[in-house]
Amino acid sequence: MANEAVPTENVFDAPPGQQKAKNTSASRDFKLNNVAGYLFISPWLLAFFLFTFVPMIISLGLAFTNYDTLSQTGEFIGLGNFERMFFEDRRYWNSVKATVTYVSFSVPLRLAVALLVAMLLNSDRRGVYFYRAAYYIPSMIGGSVAVAVLWKQLFGADGLVNAVLAIFGIEAIRWLGHPDYAIWTLIILAAWQFGSPMLIFLAGLRQIPQSLYEAAEIDGAGGLTKFFRITLPLITPIIFFNLIIQMIGAFRAFTQAFIISGGRGSPLDTTLLYAIYLYIRAFNNFQMGYAAAMAWILLLVIAILTGINFLISNRWVYYETDLE
Amino acid sequence: MATVQSEMNRSSNPQVQAFNEQKKRQQMIVTILYHLGVGFFGFVMLYPIFWLVASSLKPADEIFVNVTSLIPSEVVFSNYTDGWQGFGGITFATFFKNSFIYAGLGTLIQVTASVIVGFGFARVKFKGKRIWFSIMLLTLMLPGEVLMIPQYIIFSEIGWVPSFLPLLVPRIGGSAFFIFMIIQFIRGIPIDLDEAAMIDGADQFGIFRYVIAPQLKPAIITASIFSFYWTWDDFLGPLIYLTNPRMYTVSVALRSFSDASSITNWGAIFAMMLVSLLPALMLFVFFQRYIVEGIATTGMKG
Amino acid sequence: MKISRKLMSLAVLTALLMMTMGVAVQAQDTTLTITWWGSQNRHDRTIEVIELYESLNPEIDIEYEFSGWSDYWTRVNTQAAGGNIACIMQHDYRYLTEWSDRDLLVPLNGLLDSGAIDASGISDSVISSGSVGEDVVGISLGTNSQTFILDADAFEAAGIELPAFDWTYADFESISLQFAEQGIWGMAYGIWDDANLKAPLLSTGQDLYNADGTALGITDSQVLIDYMNMIVGLMDAGAIPTMDLQADISAPGLEGSPIVDGREAMRYQWSNQVVALTTAAGEDRNFVLYPLPRWGEDGVTPNYLKPSMFFSITEGCETIDEAAAFIDWFTNSTEANDILFAERGVPVDADILAYLADQVDPVTAQVFQFIADVSEVAIPVPPADPAGASDVIENVLVPLFVDPVLFGMTTAEDAYPTFEEEANAILAQNAE
Repeated sequence: MANEAVPTENVFDAPPGQQKAKNTSASRDFKLNNVAGYLFISPWLLAFFLFTFVPMIISLGLAFTNYDTLSQTGEFIGLGNFERMFFEDRRYWNSVKATVTYVSFSVPLRLAVALLVAMLLNSDRRGVYFYRAAYYIPSMIGGSVAVAVLWKQLFGADGLVNAVLAIFGIEAIRWLGHPDYAIWTLIILAAWQFGSPMLIFLAGLRQIPQSLYEAAEIDGAGGLTKFFRITLPLITPIIFFNLIIQMIGAFRAFTQAFIISGGRGSPLDTTLLYAIYLYIRAFNNFQMGYAAAMAWILLLVIAILTGINFLISNRWVYYETDLE
Repeated sequence: MATVQSEMNRSSNPQVQAFNEQKKRQQMIVTILYHLGVGFFGFVMLYPIFWLVASSLKPADEIFVNVTSLIPSEVVFSNYTDGWQGFGGITFATFFKNSFIYAGLGTLIQVTASVIVGFGFARVKFKGKRIWFSIMLLTLMLPGEVLMIPQYIIFSEIGWVPSFLPLLVPRIGGSAFFIFMIIQFIRGIPIDLDEAAMIDGADQFGIFRYVIAPQLKPAIITASIFSFYWTWDDFLGPLIYLTNPRMYTVSVALRSFSDASSITNWGAIFAMMLVSLLPALMLFVFFQRYIVEGIATTGMKG
Repeated sequence: MKISRKLMSLAVLTALLMMTMGVAVQAQDTTLTITWWGSQNRHDRTIEVIELYESLNPEIDIEYEFSGWSDYWTRVNTQAAGGNIACIMQHDYRYLTEWSDRDLLVPLNGLLDSGAIDASGISDSVISSGSVGEDVVGISLGTNSQTFILDADAFEAAGIELPAFDWTYADFESISLQFAEQGIWGMAYGIWDDANLKAPLLSTGQDLYNADGTALGITDSQVLIDYMNMIVGLMDAGAIPTMDLQADISAPGLEGSPIVDGREAMRYQWSNQVVALTTAAGEDRNFVLYPLPRWGEDGVTPNYLKPSMFFSITEGCETIDEAAAFIDWFTNSTEANDILFAERGVPVDADILAYLADQVDPVTAQVFQFIADVSEVAIPVPPADPAGASDVIENVLVPLFVDPVLFGMTTAEDAYPTFEEEANAILAQNAE
């Protein structure tokens, strides 16, 4: 399953344009070096086999049982968990719906804001150090209990958000309690904490040599041209990275939603993110087998989506090594 | 290296000087707009933090009464002193110490390993690379809750509970997130330098040490900042592996304050939470300029 | 940024070694382990009690762990799976049966009979409330009962008379409507949580679960349906905030309860939360404690004396006698209770109750008095929640019955059959 799901040819092979020239320096000098390769990745291999591999296999096995968290007993039940999940469990589909909504909106929003702000802060003006810190701090209070209290205050019926909306003449929205709006408190929270992808974009932007911009200016290029011909192409590897990572993270989102929804996905399961429902099944209901089944379905979905992303990445991701 | 702009600035041609004046005015307007926009938005971003700070200085019964107000009716520091006391004689000094150990060592191990492994995946050709890369990404996709108990049992059997070992030792493998990130950054470094070094007789290890690693500064700094505060924030691991209260980290201690059935000292929680932000924040502020410095490609033909 | 590899590995190794050294156990004494949940107040008091016990019993060394409520169960469940659970653990009704059924708790009957844990001052119903079947698996740490807190000042200001002690839900309804006319909520708290849904059932001689926990114990579903309809009616009249406001109201916890700033006139809590609530509400508030209303003129007051929490001894504990001695001292000694000061609830031992009654603050004394009054009319404690109960409540009762009805998506009559069917299925499955 692992091999087919994530094709990776395009990350490592030379791009289409170069494939014909077998005599280029790239293919001549970087010959196969198994020893060095495995030596470099040996720390990861070691940790993986010692600490991750066995638990992963165990959890895969558990998915086909009705293993009980507390008594650590269970029996093989074949596809029983999956049948229940897909055909009998209403809450399961509620959680899928909530998660898909969350991912579809929070990922693009977060990335767009992060890129925009990174570009704004990619300057040497005075005060930019302070601004960077200011934009980054929200991400740092991520998993704390205080965030929940805070957010509930902001989105409360008498909270600040409604006060601001009132200025624009918009009627107060019952953010926290209304099934249609509650998920948006989570989406906006995700967007507020864009610090991490922003920082990565910033690092990527700083990696672009200033000389490229200056050369372009001499040739008469304006702001937009510089952006679309220099900046954007050169940060596509970073955009790609952020896209993959944020998507995976959004599917697995747990902590903030757990705290804000009080661990129940209220109201009416609209904030019942997949990971929260999984936790409820595993720890509140002691149904570890069922939770394991849920986990592996999630992995499958994420793996397929990631694989698709890798597949189409060669159309728009541009690696520096293609500069010739 | 002279730029077009600096050349123009030194010109004595009156037309050029007028042009310069106009440009300067335009730049000033842009600057003002910039600071207004970015600054205002920054304030909006920080508003919740201001609220936390204000609440931490409010007396206990005022926090939820005068909710939107950013100004306490009376400024009290008792939340900080009460909160710092911690529990039963174990103060936050202990908790901070533990958090520093965990986050500091954890970051060091994790980032170093990730850079090494990342280089292997990015620049070295070896058989089976794609398979291992895929598996590595897969580990990012599996929800941790189902791994938690099997892993705990393993660590328990080898006697590592309670201690920092289950939290630190697995980090020698780096983290899939950082490995992937480093790979992408390395992909952005031109291969010419590698080739040049190779012609000079360097092997893969040499390339790693002298060519790639120095140019990864922004990426390494970024990774370190992330790793530090994510580790600092991590509570699930410390919750189950550092069960002796003297080993609690700040993240676990903060969550020990709240119990729905009795009085929760919210002021203390806010106060301690803000204090716990400081190390990560200082790290960020201090290292920010290294990200900014960017990579040194002057001397390159590009 | 280049740190030589040798230096780094040396640093890591040293640090790791230092860490492991700190873990080495100096065990010549007997080590007793204990874990509990709470907030800062409870942690401080409990630790003080533990240290006192250690000084009185130098050969005992107690290792303790504590956490907040939400993390507690994550931790203890994991520890139980790994065989690392503490000897004495604080337990809650919600999970008592689940743990006991899986043989994770040691039955304490022998210890009680032999007097190792002296229960002479504890009433039988309290002892049996910690039982699952025949086995006593938990010693109650405090007596609790449900209460409706009425703000006497609000009643006076609104010109509404306080009801009788044995009031009914009809009284509650009419009072709430009267307050609604004046723009105040009768009660904001969601009286549709599983504890409150049980009330009308218990009042009419039923229960949510049947005697052996294999199915629902509802024999007259009309009671439950009428109860839900009552709530919907009160919401429509503005006496109870509608569902979309509920999240806002529960957001800040006890301290932000609407009764504190007068937006509601009555509030439901468990008696051991009264002190926290009153502290938050401020001084010179006139709160009066009432039992739950009765359902109909023939209904009984559905209050029962519930243990606020338990101490249990876990299976695999090698120091059972020492654990029993500690629990005994914790419950019965004046030294311990001088420090604990009823923080976990009204003391279960009659002597300690009397001892503290003179010393506690007025509000705590009020709670003591309430428990005393209620115990005269209380019904026997219903059996602990059966296995599968949490599944029923979390995944059936709330999302398929309570929420859809209260959000106006369906009626109680229509939603009930689905709830009944699925709940019975889960309970039956778990009973195997």
